[in-house]
Formats: sequence, C-alpha cells, structure tokens
Amino acid sequence: MNTFEATRRSVLTGTMSTLAAGCFAAPVLAQQSDPISIGAVLSLTGPGAALGQAERSGIRLAEKLLNEAGGVNGRIIRVLVEDDGSKPDIAKSKAEALIFNEKIALMIGASLTASTGAISALTNSEKMPQIALTGLGPAIELTYKSLFHLLPPQALNAKAMLEYTKAQNFKKIGVLHDSGYGQLVYNNLKTMGSDYGVSFVAVEKFEVGAQDVSTQAAKVRAADPEAVYVIATSSVPFRAARQVRITQPIISAIGSSAYDYVRGMGEYADDIVFPEFLVGEDPESHQKAFVDIYKAAYNSLPKNYEAAGWDAVHIAVNALKKAGPTERTAIAQAMREPYRGVMASYNFAAEDLTGIELSSYVYSKLVKTQFTRLTFKAGTKS
Amino acid sequence: MTATLFIQSLLAGITNGFVYGLIGLGISVIYRGTRVVNAMQGDFSLVAGIVLYLCSEHLGYPILPSFLAGVLAGAVVGWTVEIFFVRPTRRRGGNEESFLLVTLGGAFAASAAALLFFGRDSRPIRGLGGDNLLDVFDATIRVHAVWLIALSIAVVVALRLFYTRATIGKAIMAASIDPDGATIIGINVPMMRTLTFVLGGAVGGIAGVLISPLITVNYEMGLLLTLKGFTAAIIGTLGNPFGAVAGGLMLGIVEALAIVFVSSGYKDVISMTFLILIMIAVPNGIFARRGRAGG
Repeated sequence: MNTFEATRRSVLTGTMSTLAAGCFAAPVLAQQSDPISIGAVLSLTGPGAALGQAERSGIRLAEKLLNEAGGVNGRIIRVLVEDDGSKPDIAKSKAEALIFNEKIALMIGASLTASTGAISALTNSEKMPQIALTGLGPAIELTYKSLFHLLPPQALNAKAMLEYTKAQNFKKIGVLHDSGYGQLVYNNLKTMGSDYGVSFVAVEKFEVGAQDVSTQAAKVRAADPEAVYVIATSSVPFRAARQVRITQPIISAIGSSAYDYVRGMGEYADDIVFPEFLVGEDPESHQKAFVDIYKAAYNSLPKNYEAAGWDAVHIAVNALKKAGPTERTAIAQAMREPYRGVMASYNFAAEDLTGIELSSYVYSKLVKTQFTRLTFKAGTKS
Repeated sequence: MTATLFIQSLLAGITNGFVYGLIGLGISVIYRGTRVVNAMQGDFSLVAGIVLYLCSEHLGYPILPSFLAGVLAGAVVGWTVEIFFVRPTRRRGGNEESFLLVTLGGAFAASAAALLFFGRDSRPIRGLGGDNLLDVFDATIRVHAVWLIALSIAVVVALRLFYTRATIGKAIMAASIDPDGATIIGINVPMMRTLTFVLGGAVGGIAGVLISPLITVNYEMGLLLTLKGFTAAIIGTLGNPFGAVAGGLMLGIVEALAIVFVSSGYKDVISMTFLILIMIAVPNGIFARRGRAGG
C-alpha cells in the first residue's frame, strides 16, 4: 500500500473513532503506555550533512503524522536521532548507546555507506532490524538477515545512467568524477559500459572538496565526447565543465542531484540529466501527496533523501504493528516483503535486501536551474 | 594534446596560482610581522566571502561597496584574532607551536560557525565582469580571474612599498625583528603586532572577495585555502610576500601541467613531490636570501 494512503486512512480512522466516542459520550480511556523508541543515526554534520539533514526532515514529518494517526496500535513512536558527524566510529558508538541504553526497537540509518557498515556489524550481532539509508555496501552485508537498504546499490545507479545514454545513442562518453562517490559509481560504469556499447574516451578524477577542476574539464572537452558524465558531491565540476565550454549534454547520478549542489551551480545548472526517484517539481502520481504534505510542513520541495527518511519510518511502523516492539527477529521477518514506498518500490525479500528495480527510477533534467521530469523511463526509447 | 588544452591548463594554473599566492601572501604578512604561523588565514577569506555574498547577492548592494565590506570584515576578524587569541597566548609565554594550535582551533571554530549561521550550501557570487569569459585561442578564462591576477599583483607592489617606504611599515618590521630594541626607540610593539594582524586580515579579505566568485563560498573553504596558501608561502620562503605569490604560481602551474601530461589522479602526488624536492634543494624556500633581507 502507498505510504501516504496508509497514513491518510489511519488519520481518517482515528478521527472517526474520536468523533464516535464523543457522540456516544462513552468514557475514553487513553491507552497509557510508554512510547516505542526507534533509533536513527544520521550524518547531520560533516560531508554527509546534505543527506542526513534531508533524511531527518522526512523522518520527523513521518513521525509526527503517524503519531497523529495513532502510532503503533495506540502507542506513540519516538524517533531518537543521533548525529554521527559523517564518521563511522562515532556512528558505531551512537548506535551502541541507542541499542543498549535507550532500548530501541529497531534502527534507522546510517546516511553514509561507511557508517552503515560500522552499525550493521553491531545490529547483526544483536539481531536488531536496521533500515539503512544507503545502498548495498560490502559483500558481507548480504549475509546479514536483519539489514534492509532503502537506496539502490551503485551498480543500479550506474545502470540507470547507461540506460539513458543508450536511449540517446551516445557512444563516446567523457567522465569527470570525484574520488569519493564519483569513484564508486564510475567503477560500476566501467564494468558495464561495454554492455551498452559505450566507450569512455576521457576519464578525469579530482579529489573530494577540490575548488577548481577546469584543467580536468578541459581534458575531457579535448577528447570530443558525445556526452559527459559528471559525478560528484559538489557543484564545482558542473561549473568547470560549462566554463571551459563543454556544450555536450551532461548526465549525472542521483547523489549529485541535491538542491544544495544545484544552487551552487548558479546559471550553469542547465542541460543536466539525473536518474533519480523523486522530482519535487513534478512528482509521479503516487508521490504527489507526500510532496504536498512536505511542502506545507517545510515550505520547500523534497527530493530523494527526504522521501527515504519518510519511507523508513513507515516501513518500521508497519513492521512494529505486525510483530510488536519486542521480538527483533519477528520485526525483521515482518519487513521481509515487497513495499511500495514514496521514493521507490522495494522488495525486502530480494537477495540484496533492497529489491529496487530500474523501473523505480525517474529522469529529471535541469533546464535553466529548474528541474523538469522527463518522460523517459529505463528500458524504453525516449 | 591540443594547443587549446595546453593554453587552458596554463590559464587554470596561473589563476589557481594567484589564488594560492593571495592566501600565502596573508600568511607571509602575519609571519613577517609577528612570527605567528596563522592557520586562520583561509578563514579571513571565508568571512570576507560571506560578507561579500550577503552584501551583493542578499542585500543587492553594488559590487564595489560589497567588496570593500568584505575586505573590512577580514581586517576586523584579523584584529579580533590578535586581541582575543594571540595576545593572551603570547602574554602567557606561548611559542610558535602554541600560536599554530590556537589559530588551528580558531579555524575549525570559524568553519563550524559558518556552517551554523550561513548553512552548508555553496553560494555562487557574481564577480567583476559577471560570469563573462574571455577567449584565448579557443581556451577560456573568466573576466573575474583576470581582475584577480591584476589586483593580486597590485597588492604585492603595494605591500612592497608599504614595508620599504612607509614609516609604519618599517616600524612593523623593526618590532618583528627586534622587539626589545624597537621598544627602546619608542615603537609600540603590541600595537604593531595588532596592526600586522589587521593588515593580514585585510589581505585575507582581499583574497576572499577575489576568490569567492571563482569557487563559490562554502563553510569548508577556509582550511582548504589555508593548506594551499601555506604551501605557496613555504615554497616562496615564509615571510616573503613576493615569494608567496611566486610559490603559489609555481604550485598552480605544476598542478595543471601534471593533470595534462600525466594524470589528474597523480596531480597531488606530483605537486607534493615538487614541494619535497624544493625543500631538499632550498630548505628555507626559493627566496630565502631575499626573505632575510626584508623582501
């Protein structure tokens, strides 16, 4: 069931129940029980702050609305959010405090792959269900039976870029990527490129946090590609590419689509395509209600990571309703099924504990600093 | 490799070189006058960049008053750092390592404060000449970058004249070289040190308003700039303003050529190897003799 519809139905049910009780003047005995605690370790500061703060907004909104709708069988939920400073060692210590001191029922997070890895070793040993806001990390995670991922693996992100590239009939691609997120995506592009008939005619890397990459961009331009992949958690390479007169279309990845980066691009935020999941300016029909609620609450548009935070809390509450808050293995078992979220359609019964299909991707294009949703879907011709 | 690519890399190298040099210039000015290695130099530029953004983009003021406000902000931060951090440390017998640690802590605090009050966004700023580009044999350089180069040279010349011709410049040098002797002949040494930080802050402010339109303003830029500027200042002999700019230029051009002729992945390896070789060959920097002679 769509998470928004579920919330709305719960709100309506709750309201009707209250009205009925008032009409018949029956004594109302509010269920007096402790809140159910859910832990969340997010990157609210440091390099991952753009992700963690967006996720927190989605989490807080879902927590508020779900509690207004009655919480988990009458018990309210309380999401305890901790900041890991984008550091895995801090993520682990924060997770330990949440699990052993706060007695949380399950864990949400982390925002970054390394932090997720640090936490998941702990949650796995404790059989604590964990909803990670990252894609699949090291292979050992496939052996964990209580870990679920809300973001796609980098291989799928790369595939989504290549699907669009193939549909546009681009064969010669230049690549400008950073040494962090960009390197992870490029590693997968390199592996799959030949399957899509794509050759990489220039690949230029720069360090995360670089303030000028115009020489690298000039090298990419000199190779005369048909399109350019720019993959980075920064606006710098996008500006540099256009400033050295790379006029070819730019195709990027979901991690580069944050509004923060687009604002940093300034007037150069033009003719750039992103495979992502939620275009706040033009959401898909099942996402529209969430976008409206989010806009009303925060006076801004959500993107992928806000939706992931929202989905995480809904998935947690659904499982807690079915399994109760005490049996960790039962909670994890209750999660292990398909779920239609706002961000994507998941299948947590799948081998990679994510189950996101290419069909969940939507494609957006920056046109003069504004996102527009393309009609293209992966697996089709544009 | 095409001629366009070579020219483009040279233009990028020269522009980046002046960016590094401007930060190194401020580090050298402060070291020259106080013997303090100031790890907050990039943060003077950060504050200036934020003030420039608030004035020109947020409040809509014309570019020139906004630039002046940024430079003034840099000078005020320089003054604040000297009065509230450096002077108390010196009074308690702090040495060069203490000053480095104090200013390093200040740099992290400034970055955190910028994150808190300014947010984590990178903010683009219109530069002198807007975002217009100049064509140089099919390569491009931003009009603002040309202004940055011209004004950097002007600042170096002005500082040279200040230290060699102006009475106060000579007094700053005297207070730095021999504080006791300077006191005997009536120079107010603490005030000269404060003025040095104000001057270093103003140079950092000039760097900030000139660099920010090229790279956008964000809360993390301070320490990154300091590291590059420090490298430039070391190459060009710490304490020699002209040397800092020359060191920055060498570093910028080596980085750019490393990307073109080797690989962008080895850019830092090559530039740091270059730094090591220079340090082995001339341990006090390439302008060591000039530095001792007073620039």
